[in-house]
Formats: sequence, structure tokens, C-alpha cells
Amino acid sequence: MEKIGITTTIPVEILFAAGYKPIDLNNLFITADDYAQYIELAEKDGFPKSSCAWIKGMYGACLENGIDRVVSVVEGDCSDTEALNEVLEARGIATYPFAYPYQHDLTAVQRVVNNFRELFAVGLDKVEKMRNRLNEVRSLAHEIDRLTWQENKATGFENHLYQINCSDFKGDIDAYQEELEAKIAEIEVREPREKQLRLGYIGVPPMTADIYQYVTDFSAAIVYNEVQREFAFPRFEEADSIYQQYLDYTYPYNLEFRLAEIKKEVAKRELDGIIHYTQAFCHREIEDIVMKDKLEVPTLTIRGDKSRELDSRMELRLEAFLDMLGDMKGGSL
Amino acid sequence: MKALGIDLGSREVKTVVMEDDRIVDKFKVSTMSFYRDYCKFSEGIVVDLKKLNVAEADVKISTGYGRNNTDLNEFEVINEVKAHAYGAIYQTGLKNFILLDVGGQDVKAVQIEKGLITDLELNEKCAASCGRYLENMAKVLEVSLEELSTYSNNPVDLNSTCAVFSESELIGKIAEGVEVERLCAGVNYSMYRRLKPLLTGFKGHKLVISGGVAFNRAIREYLARDYDEVITLDYPQYNGAIGSCYFGRKVSN
Repeated sequence: MEKIGITTTIPVEILFAAGYKPIDLNNLFITADDYAQYIELAEKDGFPKSSCAWIKGMYGACLENGIDRVVSVVEGDCSDTEALNEVLEARGIATYPFAYPYQHDLTAVQRVVNNFRELFAVGLDKVEKMRNRLNEVRSLAHEIDRLTWQENKATGFENHLYQINCSDFKGDIDAYQEELEAKIAEIEVREPREKQLRLGYIGVPPMTADIYQYVTDFSAAIVYNEVQREFAFPRFEEADSIYQQYLDYTYPYNLEFRLAEIKKEVAKRELDGIIHYTQAFCHREIEDIVMKDKLEVPTLTIRGDKSRELDSRMELRLEAFLDMLGDMKGGSL
Repeated sequence: MKALGIDLGSREVKTVVMEDDRIVDKFKVSTMSFYRDYCKFSEGIVVDLKKLNVAEADVKISTGYGRNNTDLNEFEVINEVKAHAYGAIYQTGLKNFILLDVGGQDVKAVQIEKGLITDLELNEKCAASCGRYLENMAKVLEVSLEELSTYSNNPVDLNSTCAVFSESELIGKIAEGVEVERLCAGVNYSMYRRLKPLLTGFKGHKLVISGGVAFNRAIREYLARDYDEVITLDYPQYNGAIGSCYFGRKVSN
């Protein structure tokens, strides 16, 4: 199967049905031993210091891993991807733009999904069949999510990892299914965590994935990962078509829609606080203004840049926030 | 329930007693005198409450600079930044604000949102943005701290980053014959200019000032230009001790 890079979650059913092996470039970048060199490579080629580390990392990942085709999401995710496209094209890498519609309605989604499907010349039947297959695997990721918030057995990091990988199923659906099944069996037999502060993580997945472990030093656990959960399409059962499924996906659409889903989960999962992660130089940093305003639950915003590890200032802020959140929960403040 | 809060500052130790959410007693002694006259050093630091003339309290909380020297026997230690946050929440009744605490030897800027710390900046390395700077400069100018703080107009330009070099710069200005009002205003303004970068990253329109520098009228005036509202606490120097009591009353039981 020919590899094809993707810059975020897209209707991956179409790529699988067309016989491609999708590779989420974000994951390729962030899990690489020499991830920092990918960023450096991009900066040497002229990407500004004041631009997103994910964009630079994906660029480096393409070049260093011989990716010669990329599906890039130019609307609904990050407009810098549009420029990334141009540079990739100039480097001889074929790009296939995908744009989530600004209008959040079924007709608009139907149009973009069909255009994308025709680009790869696959029939709707094949796509729907693939959707059903992928949803079987997605439901295993949902089980890990449930084991996190309801049974308090899966860790925040596991919750993050096994849902985020549903963007590309690590390029191999069967193998990923097996991996999930084994993980669930391992988690199920664990003793549940003791009562702790329950945190939600919202915003793009972190550069600094050590945050999941770090909060546990303060008797806290992340039991909700907003965007990672969306990558696993938690409400697929309510969708009767691929169009409906990608319409009911919060991440690329307006904030109001995203916030409604977050609020529902804050209540359902009984969250005590929220960590909103933003990426330096990302337009979503601006959205933080509205996020904080509209969420009643205490929210701390963490801004990551190039490092995979929390810096001492982020740690200090997290410590102070969680310390007081613990007081709030334990006492009557 | 009675709560006793002690804030062990770099220059003074502040003590507050709260009963039923009211402050019933407060006083301060110099840090030197506190350790010398009111503490015994046997298996940790034991505070002689009788000597301090404080009645036994139900909860005892201490805070202050550095964890080790604030670890008093029978006291629960809390983080200093948190103590100040609680103190300001209690004293203002606000849940969303920026707290600027300028003490004798350190500065804290803290963002409070929904009653929790969400951001903080500390400066404990530069004497030129602490209360001690104002004290030194007042000495050079041979004016009291109170008088120094009244001048804000037409400040003379003092550009040094460092507290020691600022002193020589100030002496140079004295020699140029600049009038004392402008010299005082210059000292206040230079202090404000050093505080400002600590605050720039924080969002919000309400600033609460605590610590001894809250008494400086000129600096309050400069800060008032940057915010919709600048609130000076009733007991700015006791804020950490008040916050300790507040924590003790609300949380530890």
C-alpha cells in the first residue's frame, strides 16, 4: 500500500478504500527521536521562528521519511497548512487539499466529502463499507475512554494516545484493532484509581505529552481529552452516513458547537478543572478568550511551543492551579 | 473557630488572628527579632505563642519566603503565592483579578481567574524592583518613604537596570541641580517601569496591589493609567498572613 501523509483527521475512510496507507504526519513528527531536527530543518528552509512547531515538524517529517503525497486540511484546522502545501509542492511532493466547510450543514459537508471521494476515484459503497469497518475499531477506542472516566482505570496518557491514533489507525486497521484489544484486556484488570481531582484537557493535542504524568504528582488525573476524543468519532452511532459523521465532528467547525460538546462532557465526567492547551502562534490562542469566558469550570491555559517537555514555568503554574483546585474540592472555598 | 496565620517575610514577620471570618488581631515584628526572641530551635522551629501574646488557635498556618525556614512546629506550611492569592480574594471579595505584591525583597504578579491562580511571575533576583530600592533611594535623597511616595509629576529620567547603578545615576542628577520633587518622582517612575514587564503577559482590567509598596501613591497613580481599576488592600502588608488564616479556616478543617 502506498503511503500518504495527512495533516489532521480527514475522512480517512476514502484513503483506506482507495488502497492507501494513511500516515498522520503529526504523529510521525512527535514520536520521532530526532523531532527537534525536523523543526530545525524547516527553519533552515525558511519557516519563520514565529510559526507553529507542528507545521514545521510535519514539513520535516515529510522530507525525512520520504513521504511524497500529502492530504492537507486547508480549512477548519489551520490556514498555515495552505502555505505548507505550496512549499511541499515546490519540493515535488503531491498535495491534495481537503477543506472542512465554513458552513456547518449537511449539504456543504456532502459536497466536500464527495469531491474528495471523486479525487481518489472511489465509490460511495466502498467508502460506507470502510466506515463501518473503521467504526468497529473506533468503538474500541471509546472503550478505553470509558475505562478512563467511568472506571478510573486507564490513564490520561493512554486515553490521549489510543484516541489520537484513530486519525490514521497507524496505517494498519487490523493491527491497530489487535493493539487496542490487548490494551483493553490489560487495563480492565487494573484496580481503579483512588479519588482524585478530575481534569479535562481541551484544545489541540499537546507537544508536551508529559503533562498527563505531571498532573498525577498532584493527585489529579486527566479523564477527558477533547480533540483526541473527536478524532475517534465518539458519536458515530448516531450518524447514518459518512456525511453525517463528519458533520457531527466538532473540531473544524465553530466554537459554539465545540463548546456545547465540551460542556456536556464536563458535566458527564464530573470535571473539577480544565487545562486548555494552545500552540504558540496558533489562531486557537485567540479562541481561548471565548473558551475561558464560556466555561464555568476553572480553566488554566498552557501554551506550548517547540519542546516535548513542560518547562519549569508551566510546571509552576500547573502546581499552583492544581494546589488551589484541590483546596476548592476538599474544602468549602 | 480561631485561625492563626504567620507570614515570615524577608524583613518582617506578620501575624494575623481571624475568628469567624473576621480579623481580630494583627501585628508584626522584625524577622530578626522573631527568630531571636520568639522562637526556640529544638526539633524544628517552635514559636512561643505566649511571648507573642497570641492565644492558642484551632488552626495554625505559616507561609513565607522559602519552605524550610517557614516550617514552624505545629504549623501547616502553605505556598506563599497561594497565601497571597487567598488574602486578596478575602480582602476584595473578587474572583478575577491580577495581584501585584511588592514586598521588601521580592515581587509577585499573579493572575487569578475564577478564584484560582492561573499564571504567575516572580522576581526574586533583582533588588531594583523591590521595596528595598525605594528605601535606599529615599535615604540617598534624605526624605522619608512617605514623602518620596507623594511625588509623581515630571519624573527625572533614571535608566539604570541595576539598583546600585541607579544610586550613582541619582546622585548625578542631584549634582545637576534637579529639584527634589522630580528626583523622587524619577525614583517612583523607574520602579514602576521595572514592575510593568512582569504584568504585561496577564490579561485583565483589575489590579490589586499588596505588600509595603502598595502605600506608594505615585506608583499607584502610574499603574492606574494601565488598568480600569487599581485596588489597594486595607492591610496590604498583612495579606499573606490573612490568606493563611483564610486557608486555615476554609480548607484545613
